[in-house]
Formats: sequence, structure tokens, C-alpha cells
Amino acid sequence: MHEPLFCVLAGFLAPLDIGTTPLSLLWMFPLLASIAVVYKTTRMRILFFKTLLAESLILFLTLSGFMILAGIVLNLVVWLAVS
Amino acid sequence: MKPRSSVDHSLWLLLVGIAAWAVPGGGHFLIGQRKHAAVLFVTIALTFAAGLYIGSIGIIDSVGAKPWYMAQILTSPAVGLLGQIAQKGEYPVYGHPADYAQIYTALAGLLNLLCILNAVYRAYSGIGETIGHEEPPHA
Repeated sequence: MHEPLFCVLAGFLAPLDIGTTPLSLLWMFPLLASIAVVYKTTRMRILFFKTLLAESLILFLTLSGFMILAGIVLNLVVWLAVS
Repeated sequence: MKPRSSVDHSLWLLLVGIAAWAVPGGGHFLIGQRKHAAVLFVTIALTFAAGLYIGSIGIIDSVGAKPWYMAQILTSPAVGLLGQIAQKGEYPVYGHPADYAQIYTALAGLLNLLCILNAVYRAYSGIGETIGHEEPPHA
């Protein structure tokens, strides 16, 4: 009966298996979402959930865009340096 | 309503700051901004918990990873307690998951620092429906 709970708790005692693949970069998106929500919450004097959601989404997309752009630029720099 | 003395006001700001550190969103809760408090608590707690889930509680290391620990403990003093537990047990910490976990947990702490400063600023400038208002005197 308590098995799912134990499984979740046991998850905190051993690391997940995350490889060094490009897919592992997807782990940055939850962080960006978290930054966007907290920042927008601190900026809003009165909180309306719909507005918060919309503004957080815009900030999240902006941050994601810049991170992807930074990744592309860095990859280009490395590619140019290597070739 | 009687104006608060500067000592009272300073104590109030200190209380808000401590509450904000003790529980993410606690400062906003104290100044009456309950919705802000709920959103901040859920977001910061989830970010921190995700970090622990990714890298195990062994990533809270006050000896071997002091700079990370300083950022992590900004989430809540309870992180110190978790650190004590982590030091007693032998929890595996390695590689890529450890990096991600440290970034997640440290970022949760830094986001909470932002919330602490925001709550104290709001308390200072009177934003929010602060508790402790006195009833207006009846004529």
C-alpha cells in the first residue's frame, strides 16, 4: 500500500541517471520556468493568476530563446575554432 | 491608527525577513499577500525538491561544497538539518546529476533570497494588507 510513497522517498537517496547527452540540456527548462514564475510574482503588486501565467510564459520563452541563442553561438564559435 | 515607532517597525521588518527565510513565501504571508506566498512557496519548494530528487540529499554538503551550501541554506534553515542527516549517511553523489542538483538547489536558495528582499521591501513600503491594523477609534 505504501510502496509508491517509499519509491518516491527512495528517489531522494540516490541520484537519477542523467547522461552527458545533448538531451540532458532539457533539464534547464524547469529551472527557467521557476525563475520566470518567482521573478514575475515578486514584480506584481496585486496577483492575478491569469496575468501571472501570461507574463511568466512570456519571460520563460524569452529566457529560453536567449539560452538557445547562446548555445548556438557557442557551438558556432567552437566549430569555427576547431575547423 | 497609531503610527508605529521606528523600533517596532524595525522589529516587524526583521520578523518578516526571518519568516521569509524560515519558509519560502513566509514573509509575504505575514504581510497579508497570501496568493504571492502560495505561489512562491510552491515554486521554490518544488525547485529545491527537484534538485534533491535529481542528485540525492548527499548534495547538501557543508564541508566539501561550501559555496553551494551557502546558496542552498538560503532556501530555509531546515536545509541545515538535511545537511546533518546527509553527512551521517552515505548517500551517493556523482557526475552530471550532482551538477544539476547543485544548480537546482542553489538556485532555489537564491530565488528565496530574492523573495526575502522583496517581502522586507514590501513590509517597509507598506505594500500588502499588513496584519496588526488597529480598529479606527469610534467617535
